[in-house]
Amino acid sequence: MSTQIPKQTEESSETEAETQPASKGEERRAEKRRRAAERREQRQEEEAEKAAADESTVELKVFRYDPQVEGKQEPRFDTFHVPFTKGMTVLDALMYARDTYDSSLTFRHSCRQAVCGSDAMFVNGGQKLACKTQISDLDEPVRVEPLPHAEVTKDLVVDMEHFYDQMEAVEPYFQTNEYPDGELEEQRQDRENREKIKMSTRCIWCGACMSSCNIAAGDNEYLGPAAINKAYRFAMDEREGEDIKQKRLEIIEQEHGVWRCQTQFSCTEVCPKDIPLTEHIQELKREAVKNNLKFW
Amino acid sequence: MSQSYNRGLIEDFGRWREFEAGMWAWIFHKFTGWVLIGYLFTHIAVLSTGIPAAGAGEAAIAAGNDVYTQTIVSLEGLLLVRLLEVGLLAVAVFHMLNGTRLLLTDLGIGLEAQDKSFYASLILTGAITVASVPTFIAGAF
Amino acid sequence: MAERYSSFQSGGRMWFLQRVTAVFLLVVLAFHFFLLHFVHHADEVSFLASSARMEQLSYYSLMILFLVTATFHGVNGVYNALVNQGLTGTKRTVIKWTLVAASVVLIAQGIRTANAWAGIGLY
Repeated sequence: MSTQIPKQTEESSETEAETQPASKGEERRAEKRRRAAERREQRQEEEAEKAAADESTVELKVFRYDPQVEGKQEPRFDTFHVPFTKGMTVLDALMYARDTYDSSLTFRHSCRQAVCGSDAMFVNGGQKLACKTQISDLDEPVRVEPLPHAEVTKDLVVDMEHFYDQMEAVEPYFQTNEYPDGELEEQRQDRENREKIKMSTRCIWCGACMSSCNIAAGDNEYLGPAAINKAYRFAMDEREGEDIKQKRLEIIEQEHGVWRCQTQFSCTEVCPKDIPLTEHIQELKREAVKNNLKFW
Repeated sequence: MSQSYNRGLIEDFGRWREFEAGMWAWIFHKFTGWVLIGYLFTHIAVLSTGIPAAGAGEAAIAAGNDVYTQTIVSLEGLLLVRLLEVGLLAVAVFHMLNGTRLLLTDLGIGLEAQDKSFYASLILTGAITVASVPTFIAGAF
Repeated sequence: MAERYSSFQSGGRMWFLQRVTAVFLLVVLAFHFFLLHFVHHADEVSFLASSARMEQLSYYSLMILFLVTATFHGVNGVYNALVNQGLTGTKRTVIKWTLVAASVVLIAQGIRTANAWAGIGLY
């Protein structure tokens, strides 16, 4: 089992240079579209000016990049003034900015309640889950960037492929060779063991930890905190049995497994679900050493 | 045209103001480690003057006229060397204290207090260094 | 069987050795500093004094062990730092063996020096 190097995206998209309208009708329609766009732009500008003058607005500086739009191929920051409402999160503010000022502003979000793990971003220099980060807790202007140490696909959207590959590498699913006697019997876990793995089960695959990890940034093959935590969740689950645990230890013990961790605690600091990642990695290291000393 | 944008080291050095205790501990530990291994090589190189000195003859050695004694005495006579030695002590003490912190972390002890133990090692390093200055500087003037 | 079970995977063995040497070095480095800066002072160094210490077998063997563990701990630390920065392939192999060679030279030179003081003929 080895960790994987992310596949290079090979598709290339050549955006065609301006297509010439063929007929008069099309020309007219294009002109109409252009005017509508102008009006929309003007309206958005007015909105923005009004908001900027208003005192109870939040200033957002958002990273913009789009390889397919000329003028956005060089990354830049756009400023949005969003009216502040009590309880507003960074995600709320971004959605307001997108819906009101610029519909091309792109970011991932889904459940909006810190469960789906799709909106991890780099907010004011830290990896945060946008939907659970209160604007009122942040200094202004709020700087929103895509997760560092990942390729940016567009605006705040990064390529998560490598992260998912690392998660897959630890076989993140329950396996066992020890089945209960009765065919319909449940595979029960005692309370104590459940408590032990409780925190590790909370991972939402947001990738904040991986992005914060300085070692994962340098060593592309390093499994990373999330994947190791996933391995912990199953290696410590007593229902899997001793033979599966050995297999799991072999995976995390590879050169680019747990040994790469330098206990910087960055992952533990940024984890939006408060998983004690460093603690879990350290416990696996000890487990691996003990396991090896046993046979030494 | 590239389909995605690699921001490279954007956060690694650019955001040092936002680094947390654990990150600083790592940076300092690494830096002091480099200094110490560098010093180890220098140290052995300087001490190697003991090899030719051994052949100097008993009278010269007894009088302190051998290469080794002369080299060390003249080096230790320089204030700069003394100050560098204080720096070396600070570096070594920090590496040892933070190293202890890391060993405890490896044993799973005190992970919740890792930031406090880092600050404690910094303060203790400062205190030990300051307290050692008189001993280290003694006889340099 | 022995092959399969007894050996640490390379990462784990080195990680463990780095910790073991760390514990040893903590004690011995503290002793070293204390002895040579607080008990004996920096401006009192002489060939005679160094030689008197080295002639004791216990001190001599402690210092040799000190040299070997310190070299391992330091060079392995440097190597780890480089690997963590993403050093791979041929470059990594070259650097690895350069570091090994440097360590061997350092240890050999250190032992020669210690022998010179201890009055052991081999230097």
